[in-house]
Amino acid sequence: MRSVIDDRNSAARPSLALAMRSLLLADSIVLLRSRVSVVLSILLPIVVLVVTTFGKAQSRLGGSDLVIGLALILGLLTSCLLGYSLTLAHDREMGVLQRLRVTPAPTWMIMTSRLVVQVATNLIASAIVMIVGTILHGLSLNAGQYALILAIAVLGAAMFLAIGQALVGVVKSSTAINAIGRVLFVILLLLGLLGGSGILGDTMKTIGDWSPVGALMAFFSSVLSQATWSAQDGYSLLACLGYIVVFSFIGIRWFRWDAQ
Amino acid sequence: MREMNESVEPPVLEISDLRVAYGSRTVVDGLAFRVDRGEIFGLLGPNGAGKTTTLSALEGLVKPLSGRVVVNGVEVQRYPIEAKALLGVQLQSSSFQAELSIEQIVKLYAGLYGVRLSRAQIRESIRTLGLGEELGKRFKHLSGGQQQRLALFIATIHNPLLLLLDEPTAGLDPQSRRTLWKRIEKLRGDGSSIVLTTHSMEEAQAVCDRVAIIDHGKLLTLGTPAELINKHKDDPEVLAVAHGAVTLEDVFIGLTGDEIRD
Repeated sequence: MRSVIDDRNSAARPSLALAMRSLLLADSIVLLRSRVSVVLSILLPIVVLVVTTFGKAQSRLGGSDLVIGLALILGLLTSCLLGYSLTLAHDREMGVLQRLRVTPAPTWMIMTSRLVVQVATNLIASAIVMIVGTILHGLSLNAGQYALILAIAVLGAAMFLAIGQALVGVVKSSTAINAIGRVLFVILLLLGLLGGSGILGDTMKTIGDWSPVGALMAFFSSVLSQATWSAQDGYSLLACLGYIVVFSFIGIRWFRWDAQ
Repeated sequence: MREMNESVEPPVLEISDLRVAYGSRTVVDGLAFRVDRGEIFGLLGPNGAGKTTTLSALEGLVKPLSGRVVVNGVEVQRYPIEAKALLGVQLQSSSFQAELSIEQIVKLYAGLYGVRLSRAQIRESIRTLGLGEELGKRFKHLSGGQQQRLALFIATIHNPLLLLLDEPTAGLDPQSRRTLWKRIEKLRGDGSSIVLTTHSMEEAQAVCDRVAIIDHGKLLTLGTPAELINKHKDDPEVLAVAHGAVTLEDVFIGLTGDEIRD
């Protein structure tokens, strides 16, 4: 077998491009084989879209724009908060991350590869959910709106991945991360939906509007209802960017490659 | 065993005044040794002596409080990527992504070390490991011996200058252990130097050119197995634990004590 590091005496730096390609390929295979996460992130939103076509469910939830927004968020939340964080914690516990870390691949590359594959999968899943949603709920969107929704989906994926990363940063055990992730999933969803609806009072509405799910819902809703850019959209964008910065900082600062 | 000549070549590995602490607990305390080209070097010590932490410092997994680790002239702390390219590593508990097949694992790690292998080359190398039937299997579905063979193959996929093996024969049956010793000898024959940790004195005597016994992070003694026996055979602590002719294990117990460590 021939090595590209032919001279054993030299301190050669292996090709970063080859290392990145190898990681991206492996991470894509791993993600596609984690069927539960992939299926849930597509199937769950589609079930919501189908169920809300019956009776008055759609209007009770605030119209088709909110329903599609909710479906998109459900997919992102399931895949990023539950799927990503749990896989990362499991790999850390099993020593997979340490094994990768002793290779010449820089640590930023190991993590970036996982995030890129995750965001790309979320983008494809969001496109599927959006197409199914517009068909089932009879919306007609132009190419610009489709592009804008996908851009918001990337923003949402980044935000929920940052929250997932922070969770893996501050909690070591994968069992605890699984449990906390589920509770967080419900809290974020309820805060965004019930809080944002105003039925729990004005204070909860303000909190809900500024929560990760609430901010993202407002964004999706604006684009799907073809509303013009408002001050609320600006606040939502600020909130999303703020969550990304804060939770990424926590997730990077306190992240440990070894569970022990 | 290799004929040791006083080296004129620069060492493959040089550790000086290495100190590593976890919080307030010092785990490696001023360790210093060198490993020469083509040498098999054994790091012996009871549980918690600091063997794995020492290897972790060499691998760049832990940041030392002080000291230097230099691999073939490359300082690990300053140039971690270049140093890692010179190292082959088999961790104590190697684990690979559960969703990947053996073939995919080999492809991934070849790429990470900058080695371009065709599919045919990967399959051929897996066959030479005796894992031809297991190509599509996942790592967790292999037996202990098969996992160990694959882990060692991946550690040497880039033809490393220095191979670090953390308890490579732990949990293996005698046949697999002997086979591994032959592989280690072959790797040395191919030009690699090897640092291994082990609890087996039989292994240290059979495979290692020199061994270092460490405890509480400090170097207690260093030399060839025969030199260590000769040097310590009259120590009262060693004589107290010896039954008949002094062995390397007697020296080890005599120097590190006979209390059980967790």
